[in-house]
Amino acid sequence: MPSAPHAVRRPAATRSRGLRRLLQPFVAAEVFDFWARSIHPTLAWDRILARVVEHRRESADAVTLVLKPNGNFAGFLPGQHVNVSLEIDGVRVTRAYSLTDVPRADGLLSLTVKRMTGGRVSGELCERTRVGTVLELGPAFGDMTLPRQLQAPLLLAAAGSGITPLMSLLRSLAAQGMPVATTLLYWTARRDERCFAAELAALSARFPQLQVHYLLTREAASGADESEGRAHAEQLAHTVPDLAQRRVYACGPAGFVETLRALTADRAAHFQAEAFTLPELTADAGGAVRVHLARSGRTLELPRGRPLLSSLEENGLQPVYGCRMGICNTCACGKLDGSSQNLRTGSRSDEPEQALKLCISGPCSDMTLDL
Amino acid sequence: MTAVRSRMLSAAELDGFGAELDALRERIVADLGAEDARYIRNVVKAVRYTEVIGRALLFIGIFPPAFILGSLLLGISKILENMELGHNVIHGQYDWMRDPQLQGKTYEWDIAGTADSWRRTHNFKHHTYTNVRGMDDDIGYGLLRVFPEQRWKPYRLLQPLYALLLALYFQWGVAAQELEVGLVFKKRKTWRELWQEFRPVGRKMTRQLVKDYGIFPLLAGPFFLPVLLGNLVANGIRNLWTFTIIFCGHFTANAELFPKSSVFNESRGHWYLRQLRGSSNLKGGRWLYIMSGHLSHQIEHHMFPDLPARRYALIAPEVQEICARYGQHYNTGSLPRQFGQVLGRIFRHAFPSRPPPRQALVGA
Repeated sequence: MPSAPHAVRRPAATRSRGLRRLLQPFVAAEVFDFWARSIHPTLAWDRILARVVEHRRESADAVTLVLKPNGNFAGFLPGQHVNVSLEIDGVRVTRAYSLTDVPRADGLLSLTVKRMTGGRVSGELCERTRVGTVLELGPAFGDMTLPRQLQAPLLLAAAGSGITPLMSLLRSLAAQGMPVATTLLYWTARRDERCFAAELAALSARFPQLQVHYLLTREAASGADESEGRAHAEQLAHTVPDLAQRRVYACGPAGFVETLRALTADRAAHFQAEAFTLPELTADAGGAVRVHLARSGRTLELPRGRPLLSSLEENGLQPVYGCRMGICNTCACGKLDGSSQNLRTGSRSDEPEQALKLCISGPCSDMTLDL
Repeated sequence: MTAVRSRMLSAAELDGFGAELDALRERIVADLGAEDARYIRNVVKAVRYTEVIGRALLFIGIFPPAFILGSLLLGISKILENMELGHNVIHGQYDWMRDPQLQGKTYEWDIAGTADSWRRTHNFKHHTYTNVRGMDDDIGYGLLRVFPEQRWKPYRLLQPLYALLLALYFQWGVAAQELEVGLVFKKRKTWRELWQEFRPVGRKMTRQLVKDYGIFPLLAGPFFLPVLLGNLVANGIRNLWTFTIIFCGHFTANAELFPKSSVFNESRGHWYLRQLRGSSNLKGGRWLYIMSGHLSHQIEHHMFPDLPARRYALIAPEVQEICARYGQHYNTGSLPRQFGQVLGRIFRHAFPSRPPPRQALVGA
């Protein structure tokens, strides 16, 4: 939790929640939203819509979007993420992005999006989103936030777009006058993929207690603040000799986070990490996956590629169902994350789904169901 | 009769028939995209605009032309919402868009019956066991004898009258269908059970009644009466139209009824064949398709209930061609012709009648 200056923002609209609750029985949200949209593009009953107000290049392969959300957005803490939804070819797709700024008085939010090769959503956000585009957001989530009382010095370790939540933490620290010694280790493949380079330089010039080290994995180091190679023990011992006192925040691809965990988790004062992982690609291999049921809080080991409905039933659950052949939509249930396969057509879905037909869908990876 | 119109298929032919329809379906699923999304959003737009203009006209419904046009537009709005939007969205036809407001599991429509009850009686029972006697409650809606296989009793003599009442109050008939009130009189259900089942339905009914006959008329102040009557007319138009379209779907002269035994261990091909032989289409123009929620293509709808309905008209020639190759009758005709046959059944089977000998769908 951050200290006082960055308490969760309470926009004016949330104060009128009482009124909204009073009117709720008389209003059909979809009818309200339909007409509201013609008054203002982000006016909505309870959905969080945000308009792009600025679109700027942040590095060779990343852009920063500045968004103005409607009053339904209830604020966030530095280090948190939001789900961003947009429609591509008629299909709504959702990805989580970190908010890179601190909560601002004008309520604007910033996202920094790295263009992934072949990434549909990042491509759409980087290439085809304009000022004026409206995106839908979810509420802020994530617990990689700063503690209420800052005492221990910090080590922030970022790889690639893992910089985004850590940038939010860093900006929050800067706004508080950098109360503890902080070191940022920031890995990218090449120099031109670095985001926020000018701002990081300005911050480290302004705060002597902030050290910024850049690491390159596919280019030779040249600057005094640069070195080469992936994370390893000597390098850490050299750049962060006081690791034992540090509170570590690591963010990046799963492999990077695991390396950092192995190198620091037992030695540092505290270790906290978040990894973003691409969907696993081995679809038809046998074996089991872990299916987490969000509402009942249970986690089950279910066979890969077998209908979820029958697997759940074998585990003693009784989801509602009808035809058991993919016609009636009775068993359809929300999939919050993970990959599934339609066993009748063989097509795969790596996206969250609002209506996954359990009777004809098999899991391809660990997943979370809204059951 | 159909017995001579369609030939019996061998088990291998049946598999081929199913596989061809499955392939057709997969091709359409792979092709779904922006055009389908744009279409359903335009339907939403048409529903909203016709409703607002219709209701606005009813507010000045003291002038007869405004009353007539207002009632008509509101009726059209309700028809579009119930048939092309609600019915199709509740089938999950647009689930692939992942738009939270177009999700089959959560959509609630502008009609007396609850979407939840509809999902059970219609999406599950009717679509899985189409025209299977004793399993599909849509056969005559528990009120009418439209097939000779249904038992005749003297009260059936008056069924043309029941049909007229059902048509006029169709939304209430649909709302009450799942309650199976008749079971209470047969002592197979207690009044308490009926009350438990009625509560969610009753809430929805109240909401609809208060909206159409309370809130909107009151908003009109001194013009209370024309607004109330206009809503009554609009609901009436919708009831008559939906009754007509829906009865044309499965009760035309050549629609077939199936015994329970037909669904045990049913193959995909057999299921497709049963959908074909139990359903009938309407020939007409684009507007008939849209205003019927594409139930003008009842056959395609029954084969592919979760494909966006606008696709039915596009794939119909192909379905027809497949059916022709397998020697299967594709039941279609104009609205007057098909509805005439429905009326024929209602009148004919008000009197005692005997089922013709039935031929199985599949040969040994």
